[in-house]
Amino acid sequence: MRRRSPAYATLLMLWLAVLGGGCGGKAAPPEGPRPVREGLGVAEILGGVSLAGYRRATDPRPFEFPRDHGPHPSFRTEWWYFTGNLNGPGGRAFGFQLTFFRFALAPPAAGKRGRDSRWATEQLYMAHFALTDLDQGKFYAFERLRRPVLGLAGAQAQPFRVWLDRWQLRGPEQSQDLWPLHLEARAEGVGIDLELTDLRGRVLPGDQGYSRKGPQAGNASFYYSYPRLKARGLVTTQDETFTVTGTAWFDREWGTSALGEGVVGWDWFSLQLDDDRELMLYRLRHPDGTEDPFDHGMLIAADGTTKRLEAAQLNLEVLDRWRTEDGVTYPSRWRLRIPSKKLDLLITPRLQDQELRLSVRYWEGAVTVEGTCAGEPISGQGYTELTGYAGSPGRR
Amino acid sequence: MSRLLRRSSRRYWLRHPLQAFLAVAGVAVGVAVVLAIDLANGSAAKAFQLSTDAISGRASHQIVSGPGGLPEEIFARIVLEGTRSPAAPVVEETVVLAAEASRSLRLLGIDPIAEAPFRSSFDGLGRGIDLGAFLQRPGAVLITQETAAQLGLEVGDSLQLRVRGKEKSVTVLGLLKVWDRQRRLALKDVLVADISTAQEILGGSGRLSRIDLLLPAGPSAEVDLKKIRSLLPNSAELLTSAARSGAVTGMTAAFRLNLRALSLLALLCGAFLVFNTSRFSVVQRWMLLGRLRALGATGREVFRQVLGEAAVFGLVGSLLGSALGILLATGLVRLVTRTINDLYFAVAVHEISIAPGTVLAAIALGVTASVAAAWFPAREAARASPRRTLSRAHLEASARRRAPRLAAAGGGLFLLGALALVPEGSLALSFFGVLTVLLGSAALTPWVTLTTMGILLEPCRRLFGTLGSMAVRGVSASLSRTGVAIAALALAVAVTVGVGVMIDSFRRSVVDWLGYTLSADVFLSSVRLSTSRHAAPFGPQLREDLSKLPGVEGLNTLRRVQLPTDQGPLRLSALDLAPRAESAYSLSAPSRARAWSLWHGADAVFVSEPFAFRHRLAVSDLLELPTQLGDKPFEVAGIFKDYGSDQGRVMIRRSLYDRLWADEGYDAFSLYLRPGANLDRTLRAARRRAAEVPALVVRSNRELRDYSLEIFDRTFLITGVLRLLAGGVAFLGVLGALAAMQLERQRELGVLRATGLTPSQVWRLMVAQTGLMGLVAGLLSLPLGLILAWIMVEIINRRSFGWTLDLTVSPLILAQAMALALGAAILAGLFPAAKMARTSPSEALRGE
Repeated sequence: MRRRSPAYATLLMLWLAVLGGGCGGKAAPPEGPRPVREGLGVAEILGGVSLAGYRRATDPRPFEFPRDHGPHPSFRTEWWYFTGNLNGPGGRAFGFQLTFFRFALAPPAAGKRGRDSRWATEQLYMAHFALTDLDQGKFYAFERLRRPVLGLAGAQAQPFRVWLDRWQLRGPEQSQDLWPLHLEARAEGVGIDLELTDLRGRVLPGDQGYSRKGPQAGNASFYYSYPRLKARGLVTTQDETFTVTGTAWFDREWGTSALGEGVVGWDWFSLQLDDDRELMLYRLRHPDGTEDPFDHGMLIAADGTTKRLEAAQLNLEVLDRWRTEDGVTYPSRWRLRIPSKKLDLLITPRLQDQELRLSVRYWEGAVTVEGTCAGEPISGQGYTELTGYAGSPGRR
Repeated sequence: MSRLLRRSSRRYWLRHPLQAFLAVAGVAVGVAVVLAIDLANGSAAKAFQLSTDAISGRASHQIVSGPGGLPEEIFARIVLEGTRSPAAPVVEETVVLAAEASRSLRLLGIDPIAEAPFRSSFDGLGRGIDLGAFLQRPGAVLITQETAAQLGLEVGDSLQLRVRGKEKSVTVLGLLKVWDRQRRLALKDVLVADISTAQEILGGSGRLSRIDLLLPAGPSAEVDLKKIRSLLPNSAELLTSAARSGAVTGMTAAFRLNLRALSLLALLCGAFLVFNTSRFSVVQRWMLLGRLRALGATGREVFRQVLGEAAVFGLVGSLLGSALGILLATGLVRLVTRTINDLYFAVAVHEISIAPGTVLAAIALGVTASVAAAWFPAREAARASPRRTLSRAHLEASARRRAPRLAAAGGGLFLLGALALVPEGSLALSFFGVLTVLLGSAALTPWVTLTTMGILLEPCRRLFGTLGSMAVRGVSASLSRTGVAIAALALAVAVTVGVGVMIDSFRRSVVDWLGYTLSADVFLSSVRLSTSRHAAPFGPQLREDLSKLPGVEGLNTLRRVQLPTDQGPLRLSALDLAPRAESAYSLSAPSRARAWSLWHGADAVFVSEPFAFRHRLAVSDLLELPTQLGDKPFEVAGIFKDYGSDQGRVMIRRSLYDRLWADEGYDAFSLYLRPGANLDRTLRAARRRAAEVPALVVRSNRELRDYSLEIFDRTFLITGVLRLLAGGVAFLGVLGALAAMQLERQRELGVLRATGLTPSQVWRLMVAQTGLMGLVAGLLSLPLGLILAWIMVEIINRRSFGWTLDLTVSPLILAQAMALALGAAILAGLFPAAKMARTSPSEALRGE
C-alpha cells in the first residue's frame, strides 16, 4: 500500500468508502475464500479528479523536524507505515503491520467555507492493522476509517501523535524526538502494544527524500525512512498476551501525484540483513509484465550511508507462486541478485497467506532472507508488499 | 358403487349450478377477505421492516434520545472509550418542500466513512458518485432515480426545503441506482446527505438523532454495553434494535389482530354458505341418497361423497378466492397503511408483497372450513337408514325433534363463548369467545324459529285465513332448510348490527370528546399532526407572535415528544394551558381540584386512559420518566379521556418540562378569543403569520373538529368495508339459498295451484313465507347484534386499545337491521314466486 501513488490511493479511497459495505473492521480470516471485490480500473478512478489546489512535490527540499513528522494537509496523501518481525517466548514469532493513511478530498482552503457542522471536513484517515501469528499459522487484518473530527482521528507533530479511534502512534510527551515511540492497536481480541527505538537513524530515499513516481514533474513524493528500529512490548492474539522483542521499519511519505500510465501494481521489499545492512527496493509493473523505468532501490550501510540502486543493477526472479482459494495468484518466493553488490538472496514468505482482504486486497507479509554476499552466507528478515494482483488496483 | 355415487353427485351439481356456484362463491369471498387482510397486514409490516433496515440498518443496538437529540461528543466518547465495535452517527428528520408544504421528505444524514457495516441499502449504490463532493459540498444530497423522477429533478438541480421556518437549498449530487425493488421503496422520498450537510440543513449542529451500534453477541458485548451506558447522558437510552422495532410493530399488533378477526368473520359467513349448500343438497337428494343406499352404498361412502363435494367447493373456492384476495389486497393495503399512518407511524407501502405461505394458509383454511361445514350434513346423509331416508317427512320430523336439543347445545356454546370472554389476558381468546357466541346463537335458531312460528300461527290464521297459517306452517314444516337459512341471515345481520353499533358508539364518544376537548377557537399545528414521525418543531418566536394576534385572550401550547423507554417510545405532551382549557379536560380523579393543583404545583402528570390501561396505572401511582436529569418519578394526578392515540400519552405541564428537558420547540398552538372578538379577523391574521412558517396550518375549531372526524372515519373505513363484505357474502348466500329452497317446492306449489290457488295467492304465500323467515332472522339478529356490539365495545376495544366508549344504540341501526333482514328475505322470495306464478300447474307438477 505504501508505494501506491497518492492520487491513486485517494481515488481508491473514494471508491471504497462509498462502495465499501461489510468490510470495515472485519478480520480477514485466512480460511475460506472471499469474493473478489469488483473494483474500478485505474483509468476510471484517475479520470475526473483534479489535482488543482494541492501542493505538489516538485523539487527536493530540506525536511524540518519535528514539523514534518506531523500532517501536511495541503498535500493530498500521506502515510505513517510500520512493519516488523517480533519474537516471543518459546519460539513464538509474529509479524505486524500498522499503517495510518491521511487523504484529502479537497484542498484545505476549499474545505470549511461557510460550513458550521463540526463533521464538515476535507480530510479522511484510514488505518490498517495486521498481525501474523507464525506459530499458529494465522493472519489477522483490520481496517478503520474515520474523519478527523471530534478528536476521533488526527495527526500532530508536537508532541507526536497519529491516531484513529483508539489505534495510535504516540511519541514522548516532553520531547521533540520521536523516540521512544508507542504503537497501539487492538481489534477483536488481537492487538499490539509496542515501544520502538531507533537503531539506524533516518535515511532519505530517492534524491534526498524526493522520490519520483512518474515522468511528469510533481508526480513525486517526499519520503523518509527509519529502516531499523528496535521493538519491544506486548502482542495479544485470541488466547494470550506475549512479551516480544524484534525489529521494525518505519516509512513516511506524502505528496500529490499520480501513477505513470499503465502501471497496474507494484512489488516492494524492505529487508533487514543480519550483517547490519538494509535493502529497500520496488518495481512498478505494467499490464504486460514489464517493469517501469522508475523502479529503484537503496542499500543502507551500517553507518547509515545509502547507495541508490538502478533498475539495471537489479535482477529479481519469481521462483514460486501462491494461489488464494478464490483464484488470485501472487508471486511467493524470489531470487534477488545484485551483481554489483555481490548479493544473491532468496526471499521467502514466513506464511503464505498474508493477504489483507479489506476494502482493498493486497498482500503484505513477513519474509525471511537467505543467501550469500560475496560467497559468504547471509540471512535476514523483512516485509514484502504485493499489490495489483487481486483485480485492484488495475485489472490484469 | 362409489363410481355410481360419484356420477350421481356430478349429475346433481350439473343440474344445480346455481347452488354450486353459491357455495364456491361463498368460500371464495371468505378466503379472499381473509387473504387480503393478511397480505395487507403483512405488506405493511414488511414495508416497515424494510424501511427499518434501510434507515436503521443492521445495527444491533441504538442509542436514542428524547427531544433535542444527542450531543455529538457522546459519539466520540463511545468510540474512544465505550466500544471497539462499529458505531455510526445518524441525523434524521422529516422536512417539507418549500413550494408544497404538504409534500414531506425524509432527510437522512449519515457518515459514509463509519457507515459501511450498517446500511445494506447503500451497498453498491455509489458507483460514479463523488464522495469528496458528497462530504464537502454544502447541501449535497443523493436520491433514488425514482424519487428524482417524481420530483422532476436531475443531477445538479437544486431543491428548496422549508426547515424550521427557514428556506434551505439542497443540490442533487447524484442518483442512487437501486436495482432491488424493495430497497428502492425503502429509500423512496429519502434525501441521503452527509451528516455534516444534514446538521447544517436542520440547523442542529452539534446534535445527533441517534447512534447505531453493531455489537457482537456474547459476554464481551455485555461489558461494552455496561461501559456505554455509563457514558450516556440521562436523557439517552441504549436499546436493542429488536426491542425498538419490536415495540413499534407491537403498537399495531392489536389493530392487526382486530382486522384479522373481522376477516375471519367473513370466512365464517362463507363456511356457513357451504354448510347451507351442503345441507340443502343433502336434503334435496334425500330420496336419491335413499335409493343409492338401498342399492348398496354404505353410509361411509355417502359420508365421504358429501365431504368430497364440500372439499371440491372449498378447493375451487379457495383458489378463486386467493386470486381475488390478491386483487383485493392491493385495495385494502392502502386502507391499512393509511390507518397505520394516521394512528401509529409513517410507513410507505406502495405494493403488496405476496408471501406464498400466506396464500397457502388461506387456501388450507378455506378447504378446512368448507369440509368442516359439510361435516354435519354429511353425517346426516350417512346415518339415515336406507328405508328411512326414502321418507322426506321423516327428515323434517327429526329436524323438528332435534331443535330443542340443538338449542340446548347452542346455549351451551353461548355460555362457553361468554366464559372465554372473561379472562383479561388474551385478545385471541376473546375473539374465540365472540365466534363461539355466534355459533351458539346459530344453533339456537331452529328452536327459536319453531317457537316463533308456534306463537304466530293463531294470529296469522285469524288475520289472513288458511293462507296465513299455511305460510307459518310451511316455515316450520321445512325446518331442515329454513332453519339454516334463517341462522345464516341472522348471523349476517347481527354482524352488521354489532359492527355498526360499535362504530357508531365510538364515533359518538369521539364527537363528545372533541366537543369538550377542542374548546379553543383557533388551532395551529404542523401539517401532519396525526403522524408520530417527528417533524421539525416551531420556535418560541411563533408563540410570542401568536399571543399578540388581535382578539387573542389566551393560548395553549403543545409540544409532543417521544421518550425512549425499554418498552418502546413513550409519548409525552408538554402543555401550557390557558385557564379556560382546564375545564375542558374530562379527568377521572377523585378530586378535580386536587388533580389540577398537583398539575400546577407538583411533579405530577396526567396520563390518558389507554396509557393507564397499558401500564396498569391508577391515580396517585408513580410513573418514572427518563428526563435529562435522570429518571424521575411523577405522580399520576389524573387520567384523561383521549381517543387520539391507542398507545396512550402522558401530559406534563410546560414549565416542568422546560426544567427537565432542554427543548424550546412547539408542535401546536390553540388560541382563545376574547368574548366578542371577531373570529374571522383572528383567523386571517393567524393565517398571515402562518404563511411565513412552513408546514403550519391554521384551522378553526369547526375545521379541526371536521378534520379529526375525517381521520376517524378514515380509520374505520376498513372496518366498514369488512362489515359490508361479511354482510354481503351472507346476504347473497341467503338470497340464493332461499330462492333455491322455494324453487325446490315447485311440486308442492303445483299441487296447491291444481287445488285452486290463484297465481297471486301463490305469490303472496311464498313472499309471506320468506318474509316470516326474514322476520325471525331480524328478531334474532337484534339481540345478537347488540350482544356483539357490547362485546366489541366493552371487551375487545378495551382489551385491544384501552378505550372506554359509551355504548350508544341508535334506533336507526336497529330499524335498518330489521329492514335488511326482511328485505333480503322478501327479495329472496320474489324471484321464485314470480317464476311459480308464471308456470302452469301441470308443468309444475311434472316436477323438476
